[in-house]
Amino acid sequence: MSLLQTIDMAVTFGGLKAVNQVSIDVEPGTLVGLIGPNGAGKTTFIDGITGFVPTTGRVVFDGRDISGLPAHERALAGLGRSWQSLELFDDLTVKENLMVAAERQTAKSFLMDLIHPTRSRDMTAVDSALGLLGIDDLRDRMPNEISQGQRKLVSVARALAGRPKLVAMDEPAAGLDSTESLALGDRLRDIVDDGTAIFLVDHDMGLILSVCDYIYVIEFGQMIARGTPNEIRNNDRVIEAYLGNQGRQDKDIQSVPIEHPEEVHDYQLDSSPIGEFEPRIEGDQ
Amino acid sequence: MKAEDRWVVPAGLGVFGVVLLVAGYFYDSKLITQLALGIGTGAFIAAIAVGVVLTYRGSGVVNFSTGAVAMYVAYTYNGLRSEGRLYLPPLPNPLSIVEGIVNKFGDWFGSSSRLDLPNIPARITFGGNFTFISAVVIALIWAGLIGFLLHVLVFRPLRNAPPLAKVVASVGLFVYFQSIVLIRWGSSAVSVKEILPSDPIKFTKDIHIPQNQIYVSLIVIVLAAILWAVFHYTRFGLATRAAAENEKGAVVLGFSPEFLAGINWVVSTMIVSLLAILVAPSLQLDPFRIALLIVPALGAALLGNFTSFGLTVAAGFGTGMLQSLVSYLGTKKWFPSSTLPPAGVGAALPFVIVIIALFAKGKSLPTRGSIGGGRLPFAPSPRRIGLQLSLFSTFFVALFLWSSFAWRQAGINSLVVMAICLSLVVVTGFVGQISLAHMTLAGVAGFALSKFATEQHVPFPIGPILGAVVATLFGLLVAIPALRVRGVNLAIVTFAAAVALEELLFRSPRLTNKTQAVAVSAPSINGTAFGPRNSSLALFGFNSDGKIPSLWFGMFCLIVVVLLALLVMNTRRSNTGRRFLAVRSNERAAAAAGISVSSTKLLAFGLSAFIAGLGGSLSAYRFGSVNAGFFGALASLTYLTFAYLGGISSVGGAIAAGFIGTQGLVFTALNRWFHIPDKYSVMIGGIGVVFTAIRNPEGIAGAFRQAGHLISSKLIKQPASTPTPAISGGLR
Repeated sequence: MSLLQTIDMAVTFGGLKAVNQVSIDVEPGTLVGLIGPNGAGKTTFIDGITGFVPTTGRVVFDGRDISGLPAHERALAGLGRSWQSLELFDDLTVKENLMVAAERQTAKSFLMDLIHPTRSRDMTAVDSALGLLGIDDLRDRMPNEISQGQRKLVSVARALAGRPKLVAMDEPAAGLDSTESLALGDRLRDIVDDGTAIFLVDHDMGLILSVCDYIYVIEFGQMIARGTPNEIRNNDRVIEAYLGNQGRQDKDIQSVPIEHPEEVHDYQLDSSPIGEFEPRIEGDQ
Repeated sequence: MKAEDRWVVPAGLGVFGVVLLVAGYFYDSKLITQLALGIGTGAFIAAIAVGVVLTYRGSGVVNFSTGAVAMYVAYTYNGLRSEGRLYLPPLPNPLSIVEGIVNKFGDWFGSSSRLDLPNIPARITFGGNFTFISAVVIALIWAGLIGFLLHVLVFRPLRNAPPLAKVVASVGLFVYFQSIVLIRWGSSAVSVKEILPSDPIKFTKDIHIPQNQIYVSLIVIVLAAILWAVFHYTRFGLATRAAAENEKGAVVLGFSPEFLAGINWVVSTMIVSLLAILVAPSLQLDPFRIALLIVPALGAALLGNFTSFGLTVAAGFGTGMLQSLVSYLGTKKWFPSSTLPPAGVGAALPFVIVIIALFAKGKSLPTRGSIGGGRLPFAPSPRRIGLQLSLFSTFFVALFLWSSFAWRQAGINSLVVMAICLSLVVVTGFVGQISLAHMTLAGVAGFALSKFATEQHVPFPIGPILGAVVATLFGLLVAIPALRVRGVNLAIVTFAAAVALEELLFRSPRLTNKTQAVAVSAPSINGTAFGPRNSSLALFGFNSDGKIPSLWFGMFCLIVVVLLALLVMNTRRSNTGRRFLAVRSNERAAAAAGISVSSTKLLAFGLSAFIAGLGGSLSAYRFGSVNAGFFGALASLTYLTFAYLGGISSVGGAIAAGFIGTQGLVFTALNRWFHIPDKYSVMIGGIGVVFTAIRNPEGIAGAFRQAGHLISSKLIKQPASTPTPAISGGLR
């Protein structure tokens, strides 16, 4: 049984269908990627499954329809996320950022907090998340004292500290250079081996192809391809969408991260065979 | 929001109003008459609302002090017109400190001669009274100057600050201008020479409207129409609209955004001031009414979405007319005026409008990209709590044991202010929710205490705790809007709620037994009373000078404040506090971390209202009575300014706020040593908080903390490890 499943999920802003009837599956213990150029609806897709924008269609997580649940209840159900813009809590140390995600508040814990705030707490989730990301030395630093790359790791660690069954990650590699990106990829594999499934959204084809077990490709809110990395690598439609004819000749797109997808996109509009892959914007505008 | 959406709510309200009106006409034809008589007030509300919208469109600031500034200008006009005097705003005089110190030394050395240095002049007296035209022109130039200075000195430096800083600055200005009026002209109403003829024009058999109301209405409508045209058809208007979207837009059109904002500030201040002068003869001038008309005006501006002049003016007129209707209905036999005072229902009307307008727009979580704009004051985790609290307690114990009764009284006043400010630290400092209703929540507990303890004879600890529980319930009610609105809109709704609570509850004849103040009997355990008047009480053989307020009441206040401070420190140090700060810092990320933003806000408001409630009970015991004015909406504004000035995000800040609060220790010192009158405390608080919002968002406590870090880092010869993130902020 799949851990996360969307069935014809759609997100509409005004007249624009930002995500149009996309169905995906994520099995437990796997790393599944979603790739598409800027504006393809990737972040909106994550917002949709994690409850930050209203959706139509169904979102099933861990055997339960969560389509109607508010964001925090989805998180409590084990569906974590990280953010492209990181969104760390600036007033809390790195450790406290993770503790917030790790602890559950009850009426009893609130009353205990008022009387005995510094009692010992279960730090195993926090410690293991810090250890898994290799940032244990940052635990007492403030978010504005560490580098952007370190902040990215903290953002991922915070998502893990809530002991999710699945983490949806929004462009964790954005802004990293290729070595850092590869190192991040190794961390992600460690996380999956540790038992947490990952739904990875990115436009860096290199990262996605190198770490994912299964990949979905979307453009203009619609799914245009799905398959294993090998299938995606050899999928003509994807190659065209990403690299145009140049890519078809080389058949090697792994080494070409899409830094400026919109430019690539312009190229594709100019050169792709008409009718084979037409960009479409749904809805009445 | 789509363009047509913003018409839905106002249009719905309009249709509802017309239906009500037609039904009402068949019930009583006088309803229309009464409605028409509200047109003058409505016009003035509309004018203030237009001023608010204009400032907002020009600079993105919702100015709570719009009415207060106009009130001040109207007083200035009246000074010129009927006394031939130009009153100057009180300015701090550094010489008075020199004077105070020198004279203090003189006292010690037994010298009888007094040093008398020159004072800054309070007014310029001219030969005779001014004509109407010259008085208006001078007053309006004055108004324009104020508008310009507000822009340059206050709101331009704050343009990238978070909403909290802007709200606090404009609330500080409200407090400042109101206190100037109180200092210069006193609190009793002043009548103003007639400007426009007031004899009525008969429209139909039932509808007679005084001419001046009609003229004022026409002026407001014409001015709004001109503004609308300017915004739609001129390059200036286009540039202002562009600048509201994106500052670069204005630059492209060849305008500096700062210039545009400045012009809009000047024009809006002048328009509202002109109207204030014109309505002054029929309203009379007092230091409260015009300033507080900002509440219905904000409601009208909200209905107009802070953009549409037409909708705003219509909503302003509608509010004024409905208020007039309500006061007429209040004279009817069937109206439950003993429970619901008609004036209170009228005053609560804007609250209803605000709620409707906001609920139509609100979202339970902010949308993507809607967060941003500066950083809130740093909320440090408290350290060395035991040491700090014992130093604090020692100071107060020593003060109570060995000082004269006047200082004891000041100490007790400071403690009461601390209790209330601690509640603001929880809700505004930790969770970032701007509440302008907290003194009112404290008042709910005070009035409840008078019911429970004095009328029902509920014994001591239970009475105030029940009072605090009632305050908590009201706090949760106030929190409901906070679940869907944030920032400045939350400030508006809580302010409207404070006014509604004050007028409906605290001034309800049923609750207050038709008297101004309701008695609260002293707290007592096993028949031993320890209120401020139980000055003969000696415990453990200790009783100081036997004067009021008693030593042991001071000790009682100290214990309560220490416990509350500990409670708030514990909140900050625990997971509850971390969740609070997470919500403050980023609601979306907090939700993704599994935090229910709604219940966290409810918890914060509830906890904070409970603390405020205990503070309200302390205050009730302190005076032996409760009254509406002390706990009113204006008091809520004053307390927020003191809390922010002290340092909104830490317990140390609440303690600093207590020291500088009204009739607290610092002002008692200023009063006794430097002869600075008490009435200046609120003014200094108001101007101080504006400065704090601009330069030092962490308040006095934050300044002390940074000085401490600086000193310790110099001593240890290494850079301070604790970050000092002020307004600069990190990467976003």
